[in-house]
Amino acid sequence: MFKKILIANRGEIAIRIMRTCRSLNVKTVAVYSDIDARSLHVREADEAIHIGPSPSTSSYLVHEKIINAAVEQGCQAVHPGYGFLSENSAFAAAVVKAGLTFIGPSSEVIAALGDKISAKNIAMKAGVPVVLGHNLPIVDIEEIRALAVEIGYPVLLKPAAGGGGRGMRLAATPDELESALQSAQEETRKAFGDNRIFMERFISNPRHIEIQIIADKHGNVVSLGERECSIQRRYQKVIEEAPSMAVDTELRARMGEMACALAKQAGYSNAGTVEFIMDGNRNFFFMEMNTRLQVEHPITEMVTSLDLVELQLRVAAGEPLPISQKDISIKGWSIEARICAEDSSRNFLPSTGLLTRYSNIRGRNIRLDSGVEAGSFISVYYDSLLSKVISWGETREEARTGLINALNRYHIEGVTTNLDFANSILNHPAFIKGELSTGFIDEFFDNGDAKIDPPIEQLIDMVIATTVVYHFWKNLVRESLKPMTAKVGLSHKPAQRHCYVVKGNKDIFEVELQGQVSSRDWSVKVNGNEFAVVAPVFEFYRRRLKLSINGVNKYFRLQYRQNFIWNAHCGISRIFELYTPREWELAQYMPKEKKGAHENVLLSPLPGMVVSILVKQGDRVYRGQDLVVIESMKMECGVSSPCDGIVEKVTVAAGKAVETDEVLITFTT
Amino acid sequence: MQRPEHDNLTKLESMKEEAFLGGGVKRIDAQHRKGKLTARERIDLLLDDGSFEEFDLLMTGRASQNTGIGEFPGDGVITGHGTIDGREVFIFSQDFTIMGGALGEAHAQKVCKIMDHAVRVGAPIIGLNDSGGARIQEGVESLAAYGEIFYRNVQASGVVPQISCIMGPCAGGAVYSPAMTDFTFMVENTSYMFVTGPNVVKTVTHQDITAEELGGAMVHSKKSGVAHFAFPNDILCLREVRRLINYLPSNNRQQAPILDLRDPAERTDPALDYLVPANPNQTYDMKILITSILDGAEFLEIHPHFARNIIVGFGRLGGQTIGLIANQPAVLAGVLDVQASEKAARFVRFCDAFNIPLVCLEDVPGFMPGPEQEHGGIIRHGAKLLYAFSEATVPRITVIIRKAYGGAYVVMNSKHIGSDMNLAWPAAEIAVLGPKAAAQIIYRKEIEDAENSEDMLARKTEEYRQTYANPFMAAKRGFIDDVISPRDTRHRLIRSLQFLESKRKIRPERKHGNIPL
Repeated sequence: MFKKILIANRGEIAIRIMRTCRSLNVKTVAVYSDIDARSLHVREADEAIHIGPSPSTSSYLVHEKIINAAVEQGCQAVHPGYGFLSENSAFAAAVVKAGLTFIGPSSEVIAALGDKISAKNIAMKAGVPVVLGHNLPIVDIEEIRALAVEIGYPVLLKPAAGGGGRGMRLAATPDELESALQSAQEETRKAFGDNRIFMERFISNPRHIEIQIIADKHGNVVSLGERECSIQRRYQKVIEEAPSMAVDTELRARMGEMACALAKQAGYSNAGTVEFIMDGNRNFFFMEMNTRLQVEHPITEMVTSLDLVELQLRVAAGEPLPISQKDISIKGWSIEARICAEDSSRNFLPSTGLLTRYSNIRGRNIRLDSGVEAGSFISVYYDSLLSKVISWGETREEARTGLINALNRYHIEGVTTNLDFANSILNHPAFIKGELSTGFIDEFFDNGDAKIDPPIEQLIDMVIATTVVYHFWKNLVRESLKPMTAKVGLSHKPAQRHCYVVKGNKDIFEVELQGQVSSRDWSVKVNGNEFAVVAPVFEFYRRRLKLSINGVNKYFRLQYRQNFIWNAHCGISRIFELYTPREWELAQYMPKEKKGAHENVLLSPLPGMVVSILVKQGDRVYRGQDLVVIESMKMECGVSSPCDGIVEKVTVAAGKAVETDEVLITFTT
Repeated sequence: MQRPEHDNLTKLESMKEEAFLGGGVKRIDAQHRKGKLTARERIDLLLDDGSFEEFDLLMTGRASQNTGIGEFPGDGVITGHGTIDGREVFIFSQDFTIMGGALGEAHAQKVCKIMDHAVRVGAPIIGLNDSGGARIQEGVESLAAYGEIFYRNVQASGVVPQISCIMGPCAGGAVYSPAMTDFTFMVENTSYMFVTGPNVVKTVTHQDITAEELGGAMVHSKKSGVAHFAFPNDILCLREVRRLINYLPSNNRQQAPILDLRDPAERTDPALDYLVPANPNQTYDMKILITSILDGAEFLEIHPHFARNIIVGFGRLGGQTIGLIANQPAVLAGVLDVQASEKAARFVRFCDAFNIPLVCLEDVPGFMPGPEQEHGGIIRHGAKLLYAFSEATVPRITVIIRKAYGGAYVVMNSKHIGSDMNLAWPAAEIAVLGPKAAAQIIYRKEIEDAENSEDMLARKTEEYRQTYANPFMAAKRGFIDDVISPRDTRHRLIRSLQFLESKRKIRPERKHGNIPL
């Protein structure tokens, strides 16, 4: 086994790899860019080496810097994690050339499988079914037109280079073909400097099923069952589970054999994933092979009780696989939610900033692979993945409810995350039934909101939590102020019943509390239905609340702003407003809130000089997105959009001096 | 049992019934249609249920004798006292349904009566303003009436907290009563304040301007600073008045209330260690720090839309109300300008008057340069803040977060002007000038002579930063009592407040100082 390895990655995966290294007594060396100097992965490692400026092209992607660091620190191997250089054959070759071991397949295999066309050829040779398509890279539109007729619409255009859905475009009709091709080529040229495109028949509403394999350098390959990763947004996975409801034992064995055959055909070693697309009749077709550890590898670990990173290290060190196919069994069910710094209501726009509050979650059968902590800065430079929450259960339902409960307790503040979005997927009736497809999110969600109303039972639970917290607060205020009140005539009894009207979006609830703050037991009536509630002594700096409602423990995340209480639970997040009955009676006279007329212009908040303009006419922008950077008092600050809309006109240019309230951009909404 | 009709009890009941209807059902409906509540409904919302006790319900004006206009019980204003979360306050609420809430002699007498009571017993005064102005028919009597109220505002100032809510028109001389109270709340779209209205403006300067544009809630809360708060409607406005009252003592002889939110004093926040960006030219949001250290993340910001480069407001530390003054690096880099200085100075004086300890979070690059500021009197306005801090005798604590440069360092509650406890974060830069500007002056010759002057400047800037722009020079001199770990800020502040709780400081005897107004 290695004595010391370098981990050429950051965030949760670097920390995940270090955990296994520690258990195997392998020393770890982290690398970091400028902005990551204070990151968690740097402190978790035994040693850490600075490798350059923040952009990954100047740090995490620079082969020499990483290999030099590994050599200088006396490492024997490099683990690339996922992303960055993990599927870069030149890097793998350079690592080997420097006399180190690359923890992954050989450079040649990475190259062969990394090119979608040659990968498809390998698959066909191994007897693995592939999607109707063609095996030549294309650049010319006329050629593509002819081929598309042959394959049949709709067709999917995929860049030959890259992965993760970058540059993929769908053309449903011949008319859409040209623009789809252009944008696919443009994106892949920008990202990978390669404009070869590969076209295939598009299978509608497919499932994404992948098989995890691991191979040693002695010709042994085993498959570790499947993962279903159908829930995706913009070709990025959000929720993954193992096993899949669409795969039975017989199919699992067949897919596993295919995956192993492919790996053998390719001369593969180390961990890898064979991705299949599956249609409604359980026909599966090879899509691509990922020659690295996957983000979602923990769910396989949860159902097989194996440590994939450990196996990776062992086979990379030349050891034979300690397991054979007959040792592998799938036990229970595991589901993973990827938590990203992004705004699901604004087209998954990444969000950046300081994590001002962060609380880890612990629990039985819950695993959290996190790369962040309170104080982490989420920058524009890297992937938005913050952490992964993984649950395990005897059954799928147990795993699902376990994950929901974990997400209900997971508190992240400072940047917008997809936490509630992921949670609302888990709570969706179609997910519960297991009716999954890669079109799931488009079909059931609109701008990050489920198209169906949330279940009333969950809303009522949230109303109970909100009202109890508010009432505790009111009571605390009264109790604290008692020493300052008149001493005369203080013998009156406090009221036993407390009534509130709670409004959240368009839903209105009449709530009646009965009980005493000194006791923990409350009787809460919501719209006439009574609930027995056991509440803890609430501490107002905490943002999580555990309540027992009719004997069931429930978790809520709350933010308290006097009568406005934000509450998130089971994927529903709302701001509830609490009224006294008298306020509610009078609320009918209050004017409807007017929208400010100046909302569709962006004004300069300060005098200064325009440094850069980040959008152009016609761009779609979202509220809170930085549009213009202004320098003032030697400080650069971003000016963010006041609304969602389309840029109508940019009225300033970089280098121009602007005054306070000067119009920078106008929008149409 | 039937009571005889001329029985006084029956008479009283019918008189009260009439009074409760104010200007009648029709006018009440009209008030509601405007999105406004009636004077009585507002009192209902502001005070604890059933706690209101009314004065002078039966009082009427002498108007009828002189002018022939009707006699209305209550004379267009409801006055009395009641409780907010158990504590007594005095209140007047002008009734727009009676003669447009116009202020006459009796009306003013009622207001003055509760103001006198409030000062005698030491309870806050809350005025809900909704009045067309002076009752013209009463002539000079109504002007005299205003004067009586103004005089009492001044006598009560610094004795009991005075709060004004503008919930309808408030024009002409009437504006000066709210202007002299401690806090002014306005309601968006239904309230306005100006000395002269749009009609006069049109006649005199030929400008077309609406009442909202001239003196609406947003104008006064963003531009003029006349209003401390603006809210979308009556309900939200009155809720915030209750909230504000809970931070304040009832009078200047009381300590501010202790409100225990069960937030541990020793709670640390590791995120704060990373709040200040490594690059000194990058901004961050001071509100992250504020909500982190305060009890329950509760902060009542005053003037949230006005002079946003400085943040002032109330919070609690270990239950104790504190007045917080913080530079906001995210707006104009947190620089001190005319408006920011005035905003903070007035707040500091309020806190000092009512025994509220001051906590100052400092990140100030200096005073705002430029002719606009100089000609606008930044010297005398900046002096107000310096004066206000210097004369304050309440416990005073400063934490230097990052920049503390030049005169602004001294002004922002430095040790030298009487602060009790001065702490600094390790990222603090305390110096006369910013590193670059300082290097340009000190090493002018070397930089000019250097082959590559830019390189030399950068080197010298860095040299200066290492030598001077840190908290250690000041700590060596004792101007900083301690350099602290950011995550411990809350705990250190609470410990300081604990030892300062019994602070007594007597000012030299004088009539009053002469603050550079």
